[in-house]
Amino acid sequence: MIIRNVNGTAIRAGKVIGAWAERMTDGPTLGTPGLLRLEMVLSEAGNLTENLVPSTRSAWHQKKVLRDACDVMEASVFPVRSGLCETVDISGHRNNTAVSAATETKAGEFNVWRNSFAAEYLPAGGSLVHVDGVPFRFPPLCEGPDNVRCAGQFIRVPEGHYDWIHVLAASERRSEDTVQLNFADGSVDAEALRVSDFWAAPAWFGEIKAFESLVMHYPHHVQRGIPAVMWAQRIPVTRRTGLTGILLPRNVAVHVFALTLQRTES
Amino acid sequence: MTVEATARTYTITGPEPELWYRDLISCLQATCGSMLAREGADPLAVLGAGWQFLHLPGDVRSEEFYYPCVEGQLGRALAPHHDLSARWWQPADEGDVWREVRERLADDRLVIAAVDNFHLPFRPAYGDVHAAHLVVIYGLDETRGVVHVSDAMPPAFRGAVPIEEFLRSWGSANPTDAQDAFFSDSEIGRRCLDVSLGAQPASLTPELLGGYLRTDIEGFTTETSARTGLAGYDAFVGELMERCRAGDTGVLRDLYPFGWAMQAQASLHGELLRRCGRDWDDAVLAGAGRAVETVAHAWTGLRFTGAHGHGDPRAVAPDIEHHATLLRAAYARAVDAVVAAAARL
Repeated sequence: MIIRNVNGTAIRAGKVIGAWAERMTDGPTLGTPGLLRLEMVLSEAGNLTENLVPSTRSAWHQKKVLRDACDVMEASVFPVRSGLCETVDISGHRNNTAVSAATETKAGEFNVWRNSFAAEYLPAGGSLVHVDGVPFRFPPLCEGPDNVRCAGQFIRVPEGHYDWIHVLAASERRSEDTVQLNFADGSVDAEALRVSDFWAAPAWFGEIKAFESLVMHYPHHVQRGIPAVMWAQRIPVTRRTGLTGILLPRNVAVHVFALTLQRTES
Repeated sequence: MTVEATARTYTITGPEPELWYRDLISCLQATCGSMLAREGADPLAVLGAGWQFLHLPGDVRSEEFYYPCVEGQLGRALAPHHDLSARWWQPADEGDVWREVRERLADDRLVIAAVDNFHLPFRPAYGDVHAAHLVVIYGLDETRGVVHVSDAMPPAFRGAVPIEEFLRSWGSANPTDAQDAFFSDSEIGRRCLDVSLGAQPASLTPELLGGYLRTDIEGFTTETSARTGLAGYDAFVGELMERCRAGDTGVLRDLYPFGWAMQAQASLHGELLRRCGRDWDDAVLAGAGRAVETVAHAWTGLRFTGAHGHGDPRAVAPDIEHHATLLRAAYARAVDAVVAAAARL
């Protein structure tokens, strides 16, 4: 992740913190130089320094503090890209339940085999989540449909000039289809929507792994060893005019959990 | 040479079989890939070298490992440019069903066996869903009462399975299961598959690959009496649509396993071409690979539209037609791209 300070200078604080945090898996503590550097970076960011004072507590605790700091920084500290983003309300289009509770795995039906993501591994339903600096409104979980299984739905968006449509999505097997972008001046463009398989698969299209359920829910049991993955993908808006709507593909394999528009930087 | 610890214990020499896997392949390519890797060949270079379309009306079986081929020519269908042999067999003696397995392991050869997932403890469908699947046997310990099995499909597994459970799986009737319309209702019958590579593949060069591509393109662009190439695809879709509109649920049940074979093949071929394009600094070849992968991805739309709609073919017919059209366009673009790439090799 990349954090920017008040002057707009890119600081790879998140990556630094992430790497240190990972190293702590094997080591008992951070080295003093590392902590000093971390404090400096966080000072620049202007927040959270107090949470990262060298601690005598366990490696696990330090790691958790660092990870929390990363999350909070990414979500709320000078998120330049975040400031350009608007989440899109797709609640009226949700038509599929992809996430289930361990106590009611039968409720899920992401794919034709009725497998589903495990709710316990995912963010809280309805929460604002950030993936690589992009905010998404995570759908409500275990309260009915939580995603849009693509069937040609037309999603109206606030008219505006955008560079990217960010998508939180997953697919039954790798999918490559098109979305149609409708503009205020009557022009229409088709752009690719590429989504990798949710089933223990790599990011074939170069997406970011947004969330991962480490177990797969089956109708009658919880399966270890098969993760279910939700991807953060993006679609370019190349036309420099006002976007008004997005027509999803007619493709039942593709599931959209959240949409966010990124405005053109003025 | 094998290690024969006791007269009733057989296992291959060397490491356990490689778990060879890609997210669009089936257990057929995964098990063959393990065999090829053990023989020192690059599975992608062998299984990804060829690309074709072949549909055999009435031939599709509801098994994960279905692959269209002329009778007895599975190896040639899987690897048309290599000396790959793949032959089905069943134990000859009902009184000693392990005899041939022992012989092959004693000869340091892996055995690919058909199984019903319902009876295999490491499969997610264990005790739940009947489905025809393939695994690799790499050891048999009749003293301890276990079979050593390798399975690259998630969740990947390598280890011992009690002989009694394996026998139930290997000999299963794999009855009709409403939870799996696509891979049940196909008797397992203790089938096994012998896969072997005759000659070690020559190093893949641009000239060699160019020859493969030109042969495959001829297959795509030449009409034959069988459903091959682009004309064969059109004939396949014609029947698919006709039967969907007539409400024939069988046609969508067949679409899923048949489409998997074509999808897996396209994904491996595309990946190989992209890899060669990168290695040989040939952007056109890499692009052709990506175009072939788009064919694989377009199969997703068709297969899963059919899978979700298989209970009501009439209702889903417009969406099936839509995806069949997209797939046809993907095939046409990919053939065009491969022609351009082959002309430079």
